[in-house]
Amino acid sequence: MLRFFVHVWGNFKEYIVLVALLIISLLTLSLNNKPAVRSVQTLAFSSFAVFTSIVSDLVNTGSVKAENQKLRRLNAELMLKVNLLREYGIENTELKTLLALKDSTKYPLIAATIVSKSINKSQSTITLNVGSKDGVLPGMPVINDFGLLGIVYSTSGDFCIVQTLKNLELKLTVTDERSRINGIMEWDGVNLVIIDVPRTYDIEPGDRIITSEISSIVPVPLPVGLVSGISKGETGLFNEVRVKPFVDFIGAEHVFVIKLVKNLQKDNLELNFYKRK
Amino acid sequence: MRSDYIASILLFFPVLLVQTTLVPFIAVNGIVPDLTIILLVFYTLRNGQIFGTTVGFIYGFLFDMITGSLLGSAMFSKTVTGFVAGYFSNENKQDIYFKPYVFSLIVLLCSILNSVLNRFFTSIDINTNIISLIYLHGLLPSLYTALLSIILIAFYPRRSFN
Repeated sequence: MLRFFVHVWGNFKEYIVLVALLIISLLTLSLNNKPAVRSVQTLAFSSFAVFTSIVSDLVNTGSVKAENQKLRRLNAELMLKVNLLREYGIENTELKTLLALKDSTKYPLIAATIVSKSINKSQSTITLNVGSKDGVLPGMPVINDFGLLGIVYSTSGDFCIVQTLKNLELKLTVTDERSRINGIMEWDGVNLVIIDVPRTYDIEPGDRIITSEISSIVPVPLPVGLVSGISKGETGLFNEVRVKPFVDFIGAEHVFVIKLVKNLQKDNLELNFYKRK
Repeated sequence: MRSDYIASILLFFPVLLVQTTLVPFIAVNGIVPDLTIILLVFYTLRNGQIFGTTVGFIYGFLFDMITGSLLGSAMFSKTVTGFVAGYFSNENKQDIYFKPYVFSLIVLLCSILNSVLNRFFTSIDINTNIISLIYLHGLLPSLYTALLSIILIAFYPRRSFN
């Protein structure tokens, strides 16, 4: 019997090792949602993020001057827009007061820098140099000056991982700013698409897409992108709307985490994507 | 052999550091090369199939843990990749397999396999077009990886084979 096993091992050891490791990998796939696994993963990425932040700081030093000039110009342009918006804001506040509507537009921002990027056609994630010590929680949206970048997925004390919009696991409820049509947007590996949009709905190329107020993940309107094309779905009843994002995910460096206060009622709903037990 | 295991794992960390901080700067239309595959193929060709399979497993585990990806996806794909790369491991043919164009072809094959398997596990979707899967998610990043491997292996000293 022993000789048999020795013979089998001698002839097939590579395959035995392969099968054993693949079984372990498949078992590990099933353990993804366990809290213990998540905390070990958090520890691993936060430890590595210390080194990536050092390298990232060194690399970004060279581009600081050019970026400062670009930001000064942008600052001036935004100042003009802000003045105009301030007028509209005053008018808006007066009208809201008249209608007795709650003010839901003020959210504190946490400034952050991207210290590492894991770019993949299916699971793009970035690591930021802010974490739970700065008040960051899973589920908070991340933006830059162009629009929505992603959602915080996991946090450690000093760092956090963000799933960008180009991540197969992230599905977001969005709205066409013009026609107010809602839809579910997801990344299909190639494009951001709003799926299952009935063909009779009024969506046209060039429309601005923002996050929907009915979203349980991002309930404030944040710019996402522009409709770049509409294609017929496979069943013929629905269209697929392609969205070109405002944000350049490769070039993004400095971002902000929006400190959204959790709505307890929405958070306890079973369909909430980020519900934590 | 044990020192090779330790060296391959220790070298993985700086390579992953470069992969996550510097490689995004050389992205072309969102396509980036995978330096960890080049490292895996390199060590597998030097040390054999079992070594490659095991180190691929470890690389995949560390990659999933550090980048926050679906734990197990890179473990699976890199284990298979290391196993396949091991078929090209031969002590008598190392001087052939480490020639830039041959090495890059091995890297190309392994990278396509790794990308397709990884994509398969991160999204099993009945609407997935298999041709698109192989081309966009497999071939293009793999070609980039293979191109970079030519440059990197050109610096590998030939006297190591003697």
